[in-house]
Amino acid sequence: MAKLSLMFESKVVKEVPIGGKPIGIGRSPDNDIPVDNLAVSNHHARVFFEAGRLVVEDLDSLNGTFVNDLRVERATLHDGDAIHIGKHRIIVDATGDAPVPVETGRKKAAAPRINETMVLDTKERRNMLQQAAAMGERTQFASGRMKVPTLVVLRGKTDQTEYALTNKLTVIGKSAMATVRIKGWFKPEMAAQINQRDDGFYIGPGDKVPSVNGAPIHGPLRLKDGDVIEVSGVRLNFIFRE
Amino acid sequence: MQIVSGGVSDVGRVRTNNEDCFRIVAPLQLFVLSDGMGGEAHGEIASEVAVETVVKHCLGGPDNHAIPLLGEPRPGLSSHTKRLASAVLLANKKIFESAEANPEQRGMGATLTAAWIHGSKLSLAHVGDSRAYLLRGGVLQQLTSDHSLVAEQVRRGILTLAEAEESQMQSVLIRALGAQQEVEVDAEEHVLFTRDILMLCSDGLTRMVTEPEIAGTLQAESDPDRAAEKLIALANEYGGADNVTVIVVRLGSVPKGWFSWLRRGARTKNAGNNGSSGGK
Repeated sequence: MAKLSLMFESKVVKEVPIGGKPIGIGRSPDNDIPVDNLAVSNHHARVFFEAGRLVVEDLDSLNGTFVNDLRVERATLHDGDAIHIGKHRIIVDATGDAPVPVETGRKKAAAPRINETMVLDTKERRNMLQQAAAMGERTQFASGRMKVPTLVVLRGKTDQTEYALTNKLTVIGKSAMATVRIKGWFKPEMAAQINQRDDGFYIGPGDKVPSVNGAPIHGPLRLKDGDVIEVSGVRLNFIFRE
Repeated sequence: MQIVSGGVSDVGRVRTNNEDCFRIVAPLQLFVLSDGMGGEAHGEIASEVAVETVVKHCLGGPDNHAIPLLGEPRPGLSSHTKRLASAVLLANKKIFESAEANPEQRGMGATLTAAWIHGSKLSLAHVGDSRAYLLRGGVLQQLTSDHSLVAEQVRRGILTLAEAEESQMQSVLIRALGAQQEVEVDAEEHVLFTRDILMLCSDGLTRMVTEPEIAGTLQAESDPDRAAEKLIALANEYGGADNVTVIVVRLGSVPKGWFSWLRRGARTKNAGNNGSSGGK
C-alpha cells in the first residue's frame, strides 16, 4: 500500500498508509499527520487518490505546500516525491513495499523505529529553536529571558532583603541551608519551597501552607509576576526584575 | 542522615532490550542512572559506560586530588558536586571517543542523572531527559530540566506544557552524553531534610505515569525497592512503551532528643541499607 512518511532530519517519525480516505496534514491534532510547528496551518494540506493518481492539495495554508521545492496548490505525486510543509518533509511512497528513499548517505536502519531517541547537534538545535522562535506568536521570551525572577522581602526578618531565584529549588525557612532564611524563634526549618519548572515557578507547602495574594494554596501554584507570598510571618513579593 | 534506597530497571512491554542502566553505591550514597540510545546493542554500551565511568570517578573520592577535575571551574559548588560534574564530562568523553573509534557505534549516546548525598547536601549532575524528583511536604518537585527540544521550547514560551506532551518530537534531545566532544553538564546542590524522598527515573516512567501517581506511590510505599517496583508496574500497565528505571532514596533522621531511646526499638527495622546493587 502507498504510504506517507513524516521525516525529521533523516529519520522517519511517522508513517501513514494511504487508503480510500484523504490524509490530512496540519497543526491541529485531528489530522492524520499532525505536525506541531507554528509555521504549519491547522489544516494545511491533504493527500488523496483521485482517478488512480495520488494528489496533494494545499488547503489555503499560510506558508504553502511544496513538492520537490516547488510551491503547489495541487499536484500529482510520484514515488519518491518530497512534500515540504514548514520545516518538515514528507516522503511519498507510491509503490508500497519498496524501501523509503533516504537522501543521506547513512546506512538505513532495518526498520524505522518510531519513538527512537535522537540527539540534535548544536547547529541543528540552534536552527530548530530559531525557526520556532521566529514563527512563535508568543515571542515574549526574548525579553523575558533577560529578567531575573526575584523575591523581595516586604515584611519579616530574613537574612537578605532580596533573593534572585537561580536554583531549581528555593527553600524558605529557618534552616541554615535555606535560601531565604527566616529569623526568629519558633519558625519552621522549612516553611515553604519554590520549584523552578520549565513553564515557570511553582510555590509549594513545606511545614507550613503559604498564602499567595491572601489565599492559602492548595498544592503547588504557579507564581505570576507581582504575586505576594505570605508564610511564617514573612511577606515576599515575587517579581521579574529587569 | 539515615538513608535507605532501592532501584529497579525493567525492559517495558514494547522493547526487546533494556538500554537503561543504574547503579546504587550505598557506602558512598551515590545514585547513578542512565538511558542509552543508538541502534543494535549500542545504547546498552553507552549507558553502561556512562554509569561505570561516573561511579569509578566518584569512588576516587573528592579528596583524591590525583583525579583531575574536568571542565570549567565552578566556584561556589562543593567538592562533591564538582567531582560529580567532572565525572559526567569524563563519561561523555569516553562514549564519544568509543563511537569515533568504532564506526558501527556512531550515533550512540546516553542520558545521565546522578545524585550524591553528603551529609544533608545533595549534589546533582544531569544531562538528557532522565529526571530527578524530590518529594517533600507532599509535593513532587522536579530537580532537573529535560534537555529535550520540546522542554526547551516550553522554557522559551514557544510551546505550552500541554502542547509539549502531545508533541511527536518528545524523543528529540538537545543534549546527551556521547553526541559531541563537549557537553554542558547541569550541576546543582540542594539541602535535604528528614522525610525527603529522592527519586531518579528514566523517561520510560515519566511518559507513562503522571506526577500525582508518582507522588502517591512514593508516599504510600515505605520500602524503596517496592516503591520502585510499583512505579514500574504502573508504567507497564499504561503500555510500557520504553525501558523503565526507578531509583528511590528515602531520608530519615537518626533519632535524637530526650526520649528517643523509647522509640529506638521500633526503628531498627528500617536501619538496614541495601548493599550496592546494579541493574540492566
